[in-house]
Amino acid sequence: MTEQISALIDDEVAMEDAVRMIAAMQFSKQAAETWSQYHLIGDAMRGATTFSPNFKQDLMHKLELEPTVLAPNATQVKSSRVAELKDKLPATWSIAASFAALMLVGWMALHVQTQPGNEIAPIEVAKVETTEQSIPAEYLMAHQASAPSASSYYIQSVSYSESSR
Amino acid sequence: MSRFVLARILASSASIAVLGIISFPSLNAYAATDEDVWNVLQKAAVAARALSYQGIFVCQTGQQTKSVQITHLFNGKNEFARNVILDGSPREVLSQGGDLVIYNQRNEKIIIEKRRGQNMFPAVLPVNLDAVKESYSLRSGTVERVAGRQSQILILEPRDGLRYSYKFWIDNEYGLLLKSVMLNNRNEIMESIAFNQLALLNTVELDWFQPKIDHKKNYVMEDEQVVIADDGTPVDWVIKELPAGYRKVGQMIRKVQGKPYPVTHVVFSDGLASVSLFIEPIPKGVKSKVLLSTMGNTSFYANVNSGRLVTVVGEVPEATIVQIANAVVFRK
Repeated sequence: MTEQISALIDDEVAMEDAVRMIAAMQFSKQAAETWSQYHLIGDAMRGATTFSPNFKQDLMHKLELEPTVLAPNATQVKSSRVAELKDKLPATWSIAASFAALMLVGWMALHVQTQPGNEIAPIEVAKVETTEQSIPAEYLMAHQASAPSASSYYIQSVSYSESSR
Repeated sequence: MSRFVLARILASSASIAVLGIISFPSLNAYAATDEDVWNVLQKAAVAARALSYQGIFVCQTGQQTKSVQITHLFNGKNEFARNVILDGSPREVLSQGGDLVIYNQRNEKIIIEKRRGQNMFPAVLPVNLDAVKESYSLRSGTVERVAGRQSQILILEPRDGLRYSYKFWIDNEYGLLLKSVMLNNRNEIMESIAFNQLALLNTVELDWFQPKIDHKKNYVMEDEQVVIADDGTPVDWVIKELPAGYRKVGQMIRKVQGKPYPVTHVVFSDGLASVSLFIEPIPKGVKSKVLLSTMGNTSFYANVNSGRLVTVVGEVPEATIVQIANAVVFRK
């Protein structure tokens, strides 16, 4: 079997036989290992850079050691801090972390583009028009700050409590 | 707590001494005159400020309900109160007279807010009821039990459709407000605040008068300069023909969240209900519809008047805020 596998790798087997051998290898652990080893030997002999034997396990292990980057935190990062954040990235960031950072920066860039500028007064009015059943939180807050009703000391409007800083 | 101590505390305040006796005979015991009924309400307004008590009350408005633990002390000179909101996000309101400090948890921070306020439950009624008498009539109802105590119901009804009505449950023994309900003209409850347990406090110690500190959180003061005192700059508008019973009680220039420019804020009151009027510039080319909406006990109205955005919000019927918005007249 090992000789046949070697021949298969070297493309010295007829097509009909190759199909049968590949099917057979799926049921033989030993044959599959031989297939992997011969490929590894071939790669090494040709001087090709290969992945280390336990590449998959090592990658998963390193991923576990990485600090978790939670995407929702990105909402608190302002556009001006993107550059600052980039500078802080350590040069030795692993593949996984770099990928996560790419996602984060990309998401922030997307978010910044959709954020309105300073001239948001017209947008406020537009918001008033579309959500007819709610009272704009900014006016409710201003009203309750200067003329509180008895319940406003204890119950805050939903939109007010959501406007976190 | 003995009657003697209570009497001494009450008598130590000049404003309370005029009230004389501290017994509150049931109004049903004899034919109550209009003046008698108003006197009971007047005593409730004073008792909320001049008695020392602790208890738990439940505040309900719209879809929300919060339980609040209150400790209130009057030491003969000053009033101290600590209100701990027991449901939802941690929040405490400490007050000394009309000065409030609110400890408000937002995410990982505790925001410290300073406010002025004189109408925290059970002191929802002003001590001076003259303005209230002008716009509301008062009659007594039945006797009911609230928080394990006998109480007299008083019904405060508006003389017109420009404000809501109220029902007050007044403790027969202490004269204290046990329950307050705000109703609209369809008799639907707009706001309800009621003790479910109450006891008089027999101490003058203030060791309880401090917030519970969470050492894991950052305490920060809210942004200052939210309110800029009105600098007296002449304005190009006047307010004509306010709805009956409403008076201007304050005017300021303030920052409103999300607005790049300062906004003029005028406050009106009929003695119980308050309305805020906001006047601000509106950029050219902005289309704005008239907007009227009600959420819980609060009405909101926005309209463009002579190139300015006029916004009115308050715990009053919609007719009242529309009238106040229309009372703003811009000079050409």
